[in-house]
Amino acid sequence: MIHFDNVTKVYPNQNRPALQHVNVAVEKGEFVFLVGPSGSGKSTFLRLVLKEERPSQGHVHVAGKDLGRLNNWKVPHLRRRIGCVFQDFRLLPNKNVFENVAFALEVIGKPRRFIGKVVPEVIDLVGLEGKAHRMPDELSGGEQQRVAIARAFVNRPMILLADEPTGNIDPATSIGIMKVLDRINRTGTTVVMATHDAAIVDAFRKRVVELEDGRVVRDQSRGVYGQAY
Amino acid sequence: MRVQFVLQEIWIGLRRNLTMTISLVITVAIAMALFGTGLLIKAQVDSSKSYWYDKIEVSIFLCNKVSSNTQCGKADATQEQKNQIKQTLDGLSQVAEVTYESKDQAFARFRESFASTPGFTQSARPGDIPDSYRVRLKNPQEYKEVVDAVYGMPGVDQVVNEQEILKKFFRILGGLQWAALLIALIQVFAAVMLVGNTVRLSAFNRRRETGIMRLVGASNTYIQLPFILEGAIAGMIGGLFAAVLLVGSKVFLIDRLQGSLQFASQLSWTSVFGVIVFSICVGVLLCAVASFLTLRRYLRI
Repeated sequence: MIHFDNVTKVYPNQNRPALQHVNVAVEKGEFVFLVGPSGSGKSTFLRLVLKEERPSQGHVHVAGKDLGRLNNWKVPHLRRRIGCVFQDFRLLPNKNVFENVAFALEVIGKPRRFIGKVVPEVIDLVGLEGKAHRMPDELSGGEQQRVAIARAFVNRPMILLADEPTGNIDPATSIGIMKVLDRINRTGTTVVMATHDAAIVDAFRKRVVELEDGRVVRDQSRGVYGQAY
Repeated sequence: MRVQFVLQEIWIGLRRNLTMTISLVITVAIAMALFGTGLLIKAQVDSSKSYWYDKIEVSIFLCNKVSSNTQCGKADATQEQKNQIKQTLDGLSQVAEVTYESKDQAFARFRESFASTPGFTQSARPGDIPDSYRVRLKNPQEYKEVVDAVYGMPGVDQVVNEQEILKKFFRILGGLQWAALLIALIQVFAAVMLVGNTVRLSAFNRRRETGIMRLVGASNTYIQLPFILEGAIAGMIGGLFAAVLLVGSKVFLIDRLQGSLQFASQLSWTSVFGVIVFSICVGVLLCAVASFLTLRRYLRI
């Protein structure tokens, strides 16, 4: 589903590469934790999958397509198949829960009837039954993140990328968020989650890819956060 | 493509940037009004030029009791002098036709021409307006020989070449036209920069929305269209105001000029309408293109 083939990324005006010779393969339906300290290249990894950046060297394949050969005008279609969740939720403050989720479908031109059917289903799926008409500032951090996940998942993407989704949320609430991500993973969606939340990684026992200074230093199925010496 | 969604985005954008939008509309309106006025003056000049150059005459005014020329000695030109002048004119190869206009005819024409200013016509009596020979030339450019031949002949008060008068008049109109177009050009320049700024502000205001749109895979057209249409709509409103100004300039400027300067040809509403449509199109296109070019810099896809 996601293949990094000897990928190196150097940002302009920076000497140190953000990623160096990274080889990672994520298969369909996998759940992968991407761990490592700040600046280790986790976000760059996710940005490369979205083709927000292009690799300095090597190839990135997503859903069987070489992103280096993908025309720019096809990038939106790639992104429709990838959902994204961020630490800061990125909700629209002037739209309620339903409208925030519906926005993702409206802007790709889905018909209103379809939106009216699908959005409530997803809102239920992330556990926000009955809160469709709340505004973001009336929700707790955990609930806001659920809205963001609903928005990322409403178009049924093949891949869900989550960049520190629990970074702004207390540990107890984080468990709930993780359960939602797990539920989404069980529908067959590949999930890649960048995090430095050790407790969560240890509790879930999924595949762990650890980055340090842009290199993959560990790739372990059913791993924990810290190195098991 | 969800039309309602795009329209809603445009409305939000225009409302959030209200003051910028207003200044943009005003600038576009003035630019397009000046541009249109320039075109209208040009149309007027062109049509009157061709009309007048066909009818151009050299007028030889004859002495009468009120002429100031000392050569006349406060007396009417004698019949003998008139015959002499007529003979000279008929002998010139450049002359196509010579007609004599008597004092009565001249007075009648004078009253007709200035019918709109009764005070002026009432102050004149028959005989005040001199009789004259009107000479039509084969080629309007070759007036000099004719003027030289009759100038200073006994009984001749003044020789007036109408072309000289017309030239001066057309030069003023031409100057007006170029001034209008030049100011329009400066305004267009200002409008383009204003569109750029408005769209940039708009893009900045909505960076959250556009960021999410990008993320969920909205197509570039979908992201950019509201901004481009925003510029185009501001251009359209500006163009409509310009249309009002143009109608005003037709009624209050050109028609007035026509009244007092006796333009031969009326500027038709059809050509005013054409100019209006043209200016609106230019305004809309200008704003749309300016927003598009700005977006390429400020809205990363």
